[in-house]
Amino acid sequence: MKRNCFIIFISTALSISCNKAPGTIVTEDFSVLEQTVLNDFTNNVALNSYLNLSVKATVLNTALQNLDANTTDANLSIARQAWKDMRTVWEQSEGFLFGPVEDNDYDPNMDTWPTDYIQMDSLLASGNTLDVSDIQNLTLSLRGFHPIEYIIFGNQGSKTAAQLTARQKLYMRNLSTDIMGTCNDLYLSWSSAPVNFAQHVITAGKGSTKYAKRQEVYMAIVGALSGICEEVGEGKMKEPFDAKDPQLVESPYSGNSTTDFKNNIIGIRNVYMGVNGGKGLKDLVAAKNKSLDNTIQSQIAAAINSFDNITQPYEDAIINQRTQIQQTMNLLGDLKETIENKLIPFIQQYILD
Amino acid sequence: MRKTGLVLSITVLSIAVFTMCNKASLFPESGYDDRLSGGFATVFDETSKAFSHPVNGLSDHDAHIHELGDAAFEQTFVTAPAPVNSGLGTIFNNVSCISCHHNDGKGTPTLGFTTSSMLLRISIPGIDTHGGPLDAPGFGTQLQDQAIFGKQPEVNTSINYSDKIVTYPDGSSVVLRNPSYTITNSYIPLPAGYMISPRMAPPVFGAGLLENIPESTILSFADENDANGDGISGKPNYVYNSYSGKTELGRFGLKANNPNILLQVAGAYQQDIGITNYVFKNESSAGQSQSDGLNDDPELPDSILNAVAFYVRTLAVPARRNTTDPDVMAGEKIFTQINCSGCHKPTVQTGVNVAYPYLSNQRIHPYTDLLLHDMGDALADNRPDFLATGKEWRTAPLWGIGLFQKTNGVPFYLHDGRARTLEEAILWHGGEAEKSKQQFMQLSQSDRSKLIKFLNSL
Repeated sequence: MKRNCFIIFISTALSISCNKAPGTIVTEDFSVLEQTVLNDFTNNVALNSYLNLSVKATVLNTALQNLDANTTDANLSIARQAWKDMRTVWEQSEGFLFGPVEDNDYDPNMDTWPTDYIQMDSLLASGNTLDVSDIQNLTLSLRGFHPIEYIIFGNQGSKTAAQLTARQKLYMRNLSTDIMGTCNDLYLSWSSAPVNFAQHVITAGKGSTKYAKRQEVYMAIVGALSGICEEVGEGKMKEPFDAKDPQLVESPYSGNSTTDFKNNIIGIRNVYMGVNGGKGLKDLVAAKNKSLDNTIQSQIAAAINSFDNITQPYEDAIINQRTQIQQTMNLLGDLKETIENKLIPFIQQYILD
Repeated sequence: MRKTGLVLSITVLSIAVFTMCNKASLFPESGYDDRLSGGFATVFDETSKAFSHPVNGLSDHDAHIHELGDAAFEQTFVTAPAPVNSGLGTIFNNVSCISCHHNDGKGTPTLGFTTSSMLLRISIPGIDTHGGPLDAPGFGTQLQDQAIFGKQPEVNTSINYSDKIVTYPDGSSVVLRNPSYTITNSYIPLPAGYMISPRMAPPVFGAGLLENIPESTILSFADENDANGDGISGKPNYVYNSYSGKTELGRFGLKANNPNILLQVAGAYQQDIGITNYVFKNESSAGQSQSDGLNDDPELPDSILNAVAFYVRTLAVPARRNTTDPDVMAGEKIFTQINCSGCHKPTVQTGVNVAYPYLSNQRIHPYTDLLLHDMGDALADNRPDFLATGKEWRTAPLWGIGLFQKTNGVPFYLHDGRARTLEEAILWHGGEAEKSKQQFMQLSQSDRSKLIKFLNSL
């Protein structure tokens, strides 16, 4: 009996070590890998993104204060770049829209669209106080990124520093202070008590009161990937495309929409591939199904690269570059289908603890 | 051979007869999968998006309409005239559907903020010509506590909580929070004798299945005079449908004060957001000083209202979890033993409906009878709503209740979100549910935990 067992053990070991597709990771215990990926997602992707967002919000705030104090076109240009830099981090963080960002309404506080022109113009024309506390009591469409965008870019980026009024400058400055507070709260909700969401993710299945099993947090992660794919491919891009209506485009003042969309999908890549040398979902998938990993990696890359074919501002491209937009939407559809029909079942099959 | 043939024939005949007699209603419980809370319209997802999936089996066209409704449900409205989503207010409670129905679920029990999921209904004593609540002059039947720039909200509102301690026979205790509501800065004086009713946005999934329960089934649960002597009556609400011009059975709304999904959605657009539509054509501020005076009604395209109603109608129910856990199974038995199931009906069959095959003839587990019950003084709003008295509320469906923490971050329960845990929610029960609550309190700590574990599996 003992000998037979030994033979079976050896055979199994040999069979496992030989049964190795090119590039497949089999040396690391899968359960350990599951934990490593969660740790690296939390520390390298989520916490890092939200910290970076908070930093970028401060940079934007400083730029707008400088613009207020010294209203030159050079400072306006610096403020615009700071706004775009912050959007880059924010849009990439939308690759994992779960946890405090949705639970505490941080997303609508910063990124509500459309902008309410009528109320904004009335507010600016009035003598009402525009302190940060006043702004925090305003309706969502008068807060966040897009009112700042409206003020510092103007229609199709036509604003000049000389056109900025004192009320507009006060409004933009305090809007960005409000955003800075929101970003700081968002980061703290992941990094420290009382919420400490990072710990909920890392201890999933090992004491987290939020996620009784690791599979639950992995489902939240891949669900968010599918969600942003759908939001970009079937919402933000498709609605103005179908209606051929530039007014439905989300960032029309800065002409930044295509960059926003691309950054959303780069957010997917960050979660899937991992960043800063950390492990990502790809390591788990490759360990069990290298073919699926290859498919996902190539579909993410194809989708991201395809945005470069849309060379005109999105509000023009929906009229003039429909083929290119359709191609990108198709690629996003392919990626979403793979996430929903292959990656989610993969998580359900292999991550059981 | 002949004998064998005879035996075979008898066997075949027996199977045939047995099969013919074995009607759907007679299938044993064990033949069903406990997890399928919405029958065929069940989805397996326990993330924060658990309430946000379409039912299975939508055609490509129907899936497209569902997606259109999904997108519209999330749209933020802005002040008219605007090129996109025009018509907010002028007075309103929130700016989009999703602002209150967080992840298609419940939301936050605050009033007057952009993140609030609650509002106050108002009326004065008496009934209108259709038996409904009587308008508070100048306010209608709902207080809009926000307004666009330059207009005044009807009122400002706030909530304060005081502690209420409940002690179990075993000596342990729970601190409940008892809400009180303050109204200030009304744009005109509030009428004498006004009555208010706090309402928190309920989850919207599974509504299509509830709409498709035959009226006869709901009425069969009613026992208005408590003929069976169990202390539970159960009363249908009959409400006026202003669109059809008929009085109909109420199913939706926290007092069963709405007959169907279309009216529920159309009413929310008009009253909560200030968006007029083909069902409710007049602004909520009509005749008031806040009126926008614009000739832009209805503000919502008919197709969008229909798509959002369809979206709500076709949101699937999340599957149960941990159904084979021994504690959960024990908790389920206790749920029946202490007669929680007297109102929270575990199993109902939807009607046959060829228009919506994916909702048709499904064995579902909504844990509601859709009837009104006296819930006691502590939960009373003391504001009648059609046939519902000031103490009566519609039995809340319990499906998905164990996922509130996921969909909402922090869960809140009951009509005004006063309960922070399921245990608190149970302890607020009174009136017809008093007996069941007392039995719950007599349970051991261990059995109470099992019951709550069962609820968390829903």
